[in-house]
Amino acid sequence: MTLLEISGLSLAIRGTPILRDVSLDVAPGQIVAITGESGSGKSMTALSVMQLLPDGAETTGTIVLDGTDLMTLSEGEMCDRRGNDIGMVFQEPMTALNPVQTIGAQVAETILIHGAAGRAEASQRARAVLDRVGLEAFPLDRYPHELSGGQRQRVVIAMAIALRPKLLIADEPTTALDVTTQAQILDLLRGLVDDFGMGMLMITHDLAVVADMADRIVVMKDGEVVEQGETQALLHGMTHPYTRMLFEASDHVVDLPEASEGAPMLRVDEVIRDYPTPRPHLFAPHGRFRAVDGVSFIMNAGDRLGLVGESGCGKSTLTRAILGLEQIQGGRIELDGQPVFTGKRPNLAVRRKMNVVFQDPYGSFNPRHRVARLVAEPLHLLDNPPSGADRARAVADVLEAVHLRPSDADKYIHEFSGGQRQRIAIARALINRPELVVLDEAVSALDVSVRARILDLLVDLCGQFSLSFLFISHDLSVVRRITDRVLVMQAGKIVEEGETEAVFTAPQHPYTRALIAAAPVLPKIEALRA
Amino acid sequence: MFRYALRRLSSLIISLAVASLVIFLVVEVAPGDPASYMLGINAQPDTVAALRAELGLDVPRYQRYFDWVSGLMRLDFGTSYTYRTPVAEMISDRMRVSLPLAVYALTLSTLIAFPAGIYAASRRGKAGDTAVIGLSQLGVAVPNFWFAMMMVLVFAINLRWFSAGGFPGWEKGFWGGMKALTLPAISLALPQAAILARVMRSSLLDMLDEDFMRTARAKGLSRRHALWKHGVRNALIPVLTILGLQFSFLLAGGIIIEQVFFLPGLGRLVFQSISQRDLIVVESVVMLLVFAVICVNFLVDLAYAAVDPRLRTRT
Repeated sequence: MTLLEISGLSLAIRGTPILRDVSLDVAPGQIVAITGESGSGKSMTALSVMQLLPDGAETTGTIVLDGTDLMTLSEGEMCDRRGNDIGMVFQEPMTALNPVQTIGAQVAETILIHGAAGRAEASQRARAVLDRVGLEAFPLDRYPHELSGGQRQRVVIAMAIALRPKLLIADEPTTALDVTTQAQILDLLRGLVDDFGMGMLMITHDLAVVADMADRIVVMKDGEVVEQGETQALLHGMTHPYTRMLFEASDHVVDLPEASEGAPMLRVDEVIRDYPTPRPHLFAPHGRFRAVDGVSFIMNAGDRLGLVGESGCGKSTLTRAILGLEQIQGGRIELDGQPVFTGKRPNLAVRRKMNVVFQDPYGSFNPRHRVARLVAEPLHLLDNPPSGADRARAVADVLEAVHLRPSDADKYIHEFSGGQRQRIAIARALINRPELVVLDEAVSALDVSVRARILDLLVDLCGQFSLSFLFISHDLSVVRRITDRVLVMQAGKIVEEGETEAVFTAPQHPYTRALIAAAPVLPKIEALRA
Repeated sequence: MFRYALRRLSSLIISLAVASLVIFLVVEVAPGDPASYMLGINAQPDTVAALRAELGLDVPRYQRYFDWVSGLMRLDFGTSYTYRTPVAEMISDRMRVSLPLAVYALTLSTLIAFPAGIYAASRRGKAGDTAVIGLSQLGVAVPNFWFAMMMVLVFAINLRWFSAGGFPGWEKGFWGGMKALTLPAISLALPQAAILARVMRSSLLDMLDEDFMRTARAKGLSRRHALWKHGVRNALIPVLTILGLQFSFLLAGGIIIEQVFFLPGLGRLVFQSISQRDLIVVESVVMLLVFAVICVNFLVDLAYAAVDPRLRTRT
């Protein structure tokens, strides 16, 4: 018996084809995961089921839910189905809730608009649903901003399941969450599917999550389904080269060259970074929030050091302090024996020795500058910056080093894909031959195949430039592959430090153990074949 | 919420103190001695000195500042140099026209702008939206005095529904006063409504792209319901900001409209006082306007907090 049957679904938005002949089924109590890289059409497939496509969308095919073809329903009839027969959970819990309404009202709204209960009963039922998703401790009159990301995602789930829909669509439900929170939310979703006998259509790019959760896997690429099947069958006998490429790229092993034994380069000593919090009352002094609390470590030249921790643990704050962007309230940070921050501003003599690559390849470039200017920007830190032909040659060299063409220097940033932009960001970080490159979640926003190539590039550059880098990430599997040593940070403190492999195979601190246990693991392809 | 209000209130008091000092200093350093201006260029030096003493201009500046401020607190604004009547009386006479006019105009502009903005946003890109944008373009572009004169031409001269100008006073009855203020209020309101409608529309359109609007649709709300239940309140913040600015402007900014309709309002009082070097009136009116602006801002701040719970906890 099938609950949802999509067959021959094609979609074009303003004439541009988005989906081609997509067919898949979901049975009651079954979790079907659609996976693929960005632009593969997996979210659009979900929105087609909801009939919440952007303006100008034209669809053909059939989407049959419980015997009714949703494509033939009017908008009014569809409104009756949404929230009632189909619930949906979204990726970004921080923005998915109305900031000016209480969580109780938002959950009760699902019940009220479908006329399932009166106001008083609706609010009772909202209470019950919030309890079911694990928010027993939260009164109905809380506002979303008083909740953490994981808690907000629970509210979104509560809204989606308030009327016990037959089908739950979850679009990247845990992508924006930390690993430990992700594990809890995935548990919750699986529990709901079992308890309610719902069918679940889950969209995610994370193959480890897919392998862990799904009964069936649908792999999409460029708007088409390239392969689908029962999870175990598909994992053991993937036939399509794209599927295999995806799995291999997700677990891409790099050949990190042997680290050279260098002299101590970056010395972080008992660093404290406080933020002022609002005054408790009008004439009281500001309170303090200690984001980095007595952190010490030494990084040698040639080190590939990882820094892992969950959001809010202070890793970004520590990064900014190391880059000399902010003043610290205690301790010392020195590069080659010189402080990174002097007086009220960064010490330029030190600043030129390090550069940074940020997470978002779309937000970290000025869109009005050409690539040549973007890449050459760090050169102004030098005493005698090269000009004219020298400068052009420096830009060309560094673009070639990141496997782009020298002619790309004349283009604007919007002409490049996400992966290419991240290469440009790396080129920018390398142009003045820094001693230290800080990679702040530098591959986190990239698709697995692109990420694999960027990791290869980093390894390649390690050889070319005898690179030392500090690799900051929440993604444990990547850190494990690309670093020699790792620091684990929790609540502003380094709780564990050591050789990467040693830390991952035999974690000492309970927090490290919890992190590693919570991270979903991709089954090894070789093991599956054996 | 209470603490938030208290903080806004303390910043209100500080703003007032700073504003009073700045106004006093600016007016003081402005060229032109009121005494010699009043007596004409041929006046004898000792006559001028005597008048200066009489007007209280001969005491030290800081003394005059404190006298002025403490007077303000007792609602004693001093005596006009030109008319020798209490400034408080002159201002209160004018406020009886200007304040109702401003409130009237603001009410009209809100009543026009909110529905127009919401209607346009709910019909993005369709004919209704285009019509609202076009009209608001026109409202912003055409000067309000031109509107005023056209309305006088149509409604006062041709149709004879309203009088062309003047103000009978509230003594003759509420409706008579309101009737006299109607044409001026409409001409003040139209350009304001045009701006406000655009802000409302674009603010709402921003909201339509928000994730929580998609969540609302996924719950089963229709497009229109989602807009009303989740969009409008979130869209209000920028609208409230503009509304606050507009009220302050309407209170004193209607000089031209007051001239067109021959209304005895605050704007005209300031204009006359400046040309007659009646500094004490200028100071007092400006201070009053500053007071009004700061109070309106305070109310807008409170309104923000009423709309947006995130602001209540932030101090």
